[in-house]
Amino acid sequence: MFLTRLLKPTVTASAHCDLPCGVYDPEQARIEAESCYKIIEKYNASNDDQFKTRAIVIKEKQADLAKHHIDVLWSDYFKPEHVQKYPEITDLCWKAAKQCSKVKGSLDLGEARTLLDMIDKIADVWTKAGGPQATRVQKAVAARA
Amino acid sequence: MEPTLRAGDWIVVTDLVRRPKVGEIVLVRDPRDPDRLMLKRVAAVADGSCRVLGDRPEESTDSRTFGPVPLSNVLGRALFRYGPIGRIGWLWRASFVK
Repeated sequence: MFLTRLLKPTVTASAHCDLPCGVYDPEQARIEAESCYKIIEKYNASNDDQFKTRAIVIKEKQADLAKHHIDVLWSDYFKPEHVQKYPEITDLCWKAAKQCSKVKGSLDLGEARTLLDMIDKIADVWTKAGGPQATRVQKAVAARA
Repeated sequence: MEPTLRAGDWIVVTDLVRRPKVGEIVLVRDPRDPDRLMLKRVAAVADGSCRVLGDRPEESTDSRTFGPVPLSNVLGRALFRYGPIGRIGWLWRASFVK
């Protein structure tokens, strides 16, 4: 064990690449989570069995997408220096990803609301860490107006 | 860089010392993100920069995407794989297989 620890490399290099486009925004996850929220609302308001079945299928897909976007933020955007500065981000991402699974399997509006709140907390850290400036392509002034 | 390199391989990288040669595997800084280190194969060397490619072009992000890498961002040459045990071996030989 000692020998393994001694020999273990200290620097990690990547050899198989993904394509780090560098654009990361918790809003992507939020929009999918909002879809889940609205779909649950519509599900509860409907008496159409066919509509309800479709709603469940689509909601499960959107919950999966929300989870994917949270995973991408966590594994690709947040770096060790972010974790050092905002140690809560590990727990936030982990719990939010788990919450996506809950929303996927639930028709409880409260669970979808909880997911939105969790994503907002991740977005707070992303903003504090300079995410908007570092990762997004700024809109033209005219487009912002 | 599969099949030459796999995730979890333990690699000895030596200082560059001389200019890299075509076919060698080098440790380079990603020009888009200097914190990110990559192992890639040298495809061409020009004045002050080199072009690096992965061994699996269909899945690799390399100089086709980020352009040539300045030699100042080429940090070393992959020499030897010392782990895992079943894959121990020289990597400079791998350079000539390609």
